[in-house]
Amino acid sequence: MAVETLFEISEPGEAQTKEVRRGRAVGIDLGTTNSLVAVVQAGQPICLRDQLGSLLPSVVHYAADGSVVVGQAARGLAAQAPQDTIASVKRFMGRGPRDAEVTRRLTPYEFAPGADAVVRFSLLGGRRAVTPVEVSAEILRVLKARAEAALGGELDGAVITVPAYFDDGQRQATRDAGRLAGLDVMRLLNEPTAAALAYGLDKQAEGTFAVFDLGGGTFDISILKLEGGVFEVKSTGGDSALGGDDFDRALAARLLRQMGLPEDAAGDRSLTRRVLDAARDAKEALTKLSATEVVIERRPGDVWRGTLTRDELDDVVRPVLDRCEPPARRALRDAGLEAKQLSGVILVGGATRMPIVRRLVASLFGREPLADIDPDEVVALGAAVQADLLAGNARKDVVLMDVVPLSLGLEMMGGVAEKLIHRNTTVPCGAVQTFTTYADNQTGFDLHVVQGERELVADCRSLARFKLTGIPPMPAGMARLQVTFLVDADGLLGVSAREETTGKESSIRVKPSYGLTDDEVERMIRDSFAHAERDVSERLLVVERVEADRILQATRVALAASADLLVDGERAAIEAAMAALETSKAGRDHLAIRAAIAALDAASKDFATRRMNQALQQGLRGQDIGAVESKVGK
Amino acid sequence: MICWSCEKNAGDGMLCAGCGAVQPPDRTADHFRVFGLPRKFDLDVADLERRYKEMTKVLHPDRFARADGRARRASLERSVQLNLAWRTLSQPVARAEYLLSLQGVAVGEPTGSMRSERPDNRATQPVDTALLVEVMELREALAEARARGDSAKVATLVAGVQVLHDKEMAEVAAGFAAGQPNLAAIAARLVAGRYYRRFLEEAEPHEGEEGPAK
Repeated sequence: MAVETLFEISEPGEAQTKEVRRGRAVGIDLGTTNSLVAVVQAGQPICLRDQLGSLLPSVVHYAADGSVVVGQAARGLAAQAPQDTIASVKRFMGRGPRDAEVTRRLTPYEFAPGADAVVRFSLLGGRRAVTPVEVSAEILRVLKARAEAALGGELDGAVITVPAYFDDGQRQATRDAGRLAGLDVMRLLNEPTAAALAYGLDKQAEGTFAVFDLGGGTFDISILKLEGGVFEVKSTGGDSALGGDDFDRALAARLLRQMGLPEDAAGDRSLTRRVLDAARDAKEALTKLSATEVVIERRPGDVWRGTLTRDELDDVVRPVLDRCEPPARRALRDAGLEAKQLSGVILVGGATRMPIVRRLVASLFGREPLADIDPDEVVALGAAVQADLLAGNARKDVVLMDVVPLSLGLEMMGGVAEKLIHRNTTVPCGAVQTFTTYADNQTGFDLHVVQGERELVADCRSLARFKLTGIPPMPAGMARLQVTFLVDADGLLGVSAREETTGKESSIRVKPSYGLTDDEVERMIRDSFAHAERDVSERLLVVERVEADRILQATRVALAASADLLVDGERAAIEAAMAALETSKAGRDHLAIRAAIAALDAASKDFATRRMNQALQQGLRGQDIGAVESKVGK
Repeated sequence: MICWSCEKNAGDGMLCAGCGAVQPPDRTADHFRVFGLPRKFDLDVADLERRYKEMTKVLHPDRFARADGRARRASLERSVQLNLAWRTLSQPVARAEYLLSLQGVAVGEPTGSMRSERPDNRATQPVDTALLVEVMELREALAEARARGDSAKVATLVAGVQVLHDKEMAEVAAGFAAGQPNLAAIAARLVAGRYYRRFLEEAEPHEGEEGPAK
C-alpha cells in the first residue's frame, strides 16, 4: 500500500515553528460542575487553590453593569438571577440550538432566537447574548489568573481536558474557549487518560485498568494499559450527555411532584434553579446519610419541607445510571478483554462518590474500584503531568498513546459510510484508499467526510464536504481517486484527495463549524450498537443491490449490442440468471444477491469472453498495419 | 542520509547518529522493515510489542511538541508509519493479508464488489459459491435459533463456526510456513475466515441481552 502518500498532507501549523521555551505549563480540568487548575512542582502535580479551595464552580454570572462573576459567588447569585447565571455550560459546548432540546427540559435559561448554528444564552432581558465558548472562556480566565498569581508570571501553555467521547465539534469549541481566554492550548487531553496518568505516576500502577469517569455532565469509560511508562489507551467509549446533572434533574422533577407542582415548575425559572440546587444538595448529603431534610422556598414566605431517603434517591437515579452499562461493556469488548482480566478500576468524577454508582461499578467489573486520589482532582493532576511533558520539562520515560474516539470515513455510492479510520485507532494515524467513478464521463467527485459508528451516512455526523473537479470525461471505473486521511496527535483530521490519472488535487482541514451538529447525532451514537446488526445487513444489502444493478445494466447492454455472438440456448440461460438476480435483488438477503451475481457471471462468462475478443480484433482493425506489426513484435 | 539538522551523516536510525535530531522516515519501507524485521508470517507478537513501545517512546509527537517544525513533522510521519505498521503486523489476519499484498495478491472484500467505487476489487478473489451457500445456511440457522430463543443452539452454532474459523487461520499459518507458499490457496483461506468472522460478529450478544460481565 502506498504508505508514502500518507505524508503528503501538510501538518496543521507546521509553518509556524513554535517558540522553543520551557516553562510554566498548567493542566486545566474544565468540568461541568467544577473546574480546576494544576501544575507540576518539584516533580509532583498539585492543584492550585484559592481561599475557597481547589474547586472553582463552573458557574458564570453576568451582572447588569457588564461585570462578570465566576465561581462560588456566581452560584450564590443563581437563584435570584437564574437567566443571567450560567451553570453546566459544558453541556452546551459544540451544540446547536436543536441539540440543546434534549437538555432544555428543565433548565432556567433563555436561549437567544435565530437560525444561528450555535446556541446563545440570552442575558439581561435580551440585551446581551453569549455563546457557550464565551462562557467557558470566563471560567478559564479565572483559572489562568489563579495560576499566574501562584506561579508568578505568564503561562506558557495549558493542557485542557475533554471527555474522551467528545466529538470534533465539542473539542473545537473547547479549544476556542482556551484561545479566547488567552491560553496557548498545547493539547486537548481525554479526561480518563489524564486520570490514568495521575494514577500511574503516583501509585506506580502497572497493568490494564478501566477508568470509570462519571462527571457532572458526561460519562466516559476508557481501558488503558500501563506498562513501563507507556500509557496506552486500548479503547474508549461513553455518553457525552450523561452525568450527575441528570440525577439532579430527575430528582428535581420528583421533588416538584412531591410539592404538588408540575415537573417543568410551571416555567418559573427562579424556582427551577432553587429546586435544582436543593436536589444537588440532597444528593450530596445522601452520599453519607441515609435520609435528609429538603427545604425549598416555593414562593417568598411559602416554604416547603420534605424528607428524602437514599433509597428514594437510588430509585430516581437508577434508570439514568443504567445508561452507563452498554458503553462500559462495549469498551471492554473493543479492548478484547473480560472484566476479570483488569488490574483495577479507577473512579473519576464527583458522581462516583455516590454509593449506588460504586455498587454499579463493583458489579460491572467484579471488584471494588480504586478511589485513592480525590476523584475531583485526579483529572487536573493528570493534565498537569501532560502539560509538563509537552513543555519539555518532564521525564523522558513517560509517553501517552491515545486513540480516535469515533470512526472517520467517507460517503459512498448508495449513502453508505466507508470507514477509513476506525474508532480506537492509536493517533497519530493515517489511511489511504483509492476510489473510482461510478458513472461514465463523471468529471468530479463530491467528498463527504463523516464521523460515527453507523453504517449509513444519514446516521453519522457530517464533518465536512469538498469537491474535486476538472477530471476529463472517462468511462466509469477508469478514474483513480486517491483519498488520504491523516489524524495528528491532537486528534485533528486532515483529508486530501488526488485524481491519479490527471494529478488534480484538493484538500481540506476538517474543522467542523461546531454549531452545526445534527441534533440526532448524540442519540444515534448511543444507539449505534443496538442497531449494529441491522446496520451491517442494511449496508451489505445496499452495496449488493448497487452491484447487481451495475451488472444487470452491463449485461443488458451487451445482449443488445452483440446478439450475434450468442450461441444456442445462451440467451435463455443468461436471461434466466438475470431474472433470478432481479428476484433476489428485490429480497433482503445480501448473500442471496451475491450468489445470484456469481451465477449471472458464470452464465455470461463465455459470451463475455467472445465479446472481449471481438472488441480486441475490432480495436486492432482500427489501427494502421504498422502499429499492429510493431505490437506483435515484428 | 544527511541529517536535516546538523547536515552530517545521520546514519539509518530514527535519530541522527551525530546530533540526535529525529529523522524523516523512509517512505518506501514496508511494515516489517519499520521494525527491522524480515518479512514473515510467524512473528513473536510480544517482542513486536516491546519494539513498538520502545520506538513510540522515542518518536511520539509529544516529545517534539515544542521542537522545530521539521522535527515535529518527522516525528509525526514516523509515528503514523509506526502505528500503521503495528496495527497491521500485530493482528494475524491483517499480517497475512499484508504479506499477500506485498506479493501482488489482493484479498479484497469477499466478492470484490463490496465497494462500488473501488476499481481494483473485482479482480481479486473469486467467490466460492459453496462457501456462500454454507454461510447463508448458517445465518438462517442462527436467525431461527434466535427467534426460538434457543440459546443452546446459538452457542453450538457459534462454537462450530469458531472451529471452522480457527482451522482456516491455522491453515493460513501452515501455508506461510511451507517452503513455497501457495498464495492463492492462502488467500482463499483468508476469505473463508472472513466470512466466518462476520458470522461470529453477528452472533455476538446485543446490548440488553447480555448477562452480567464475566
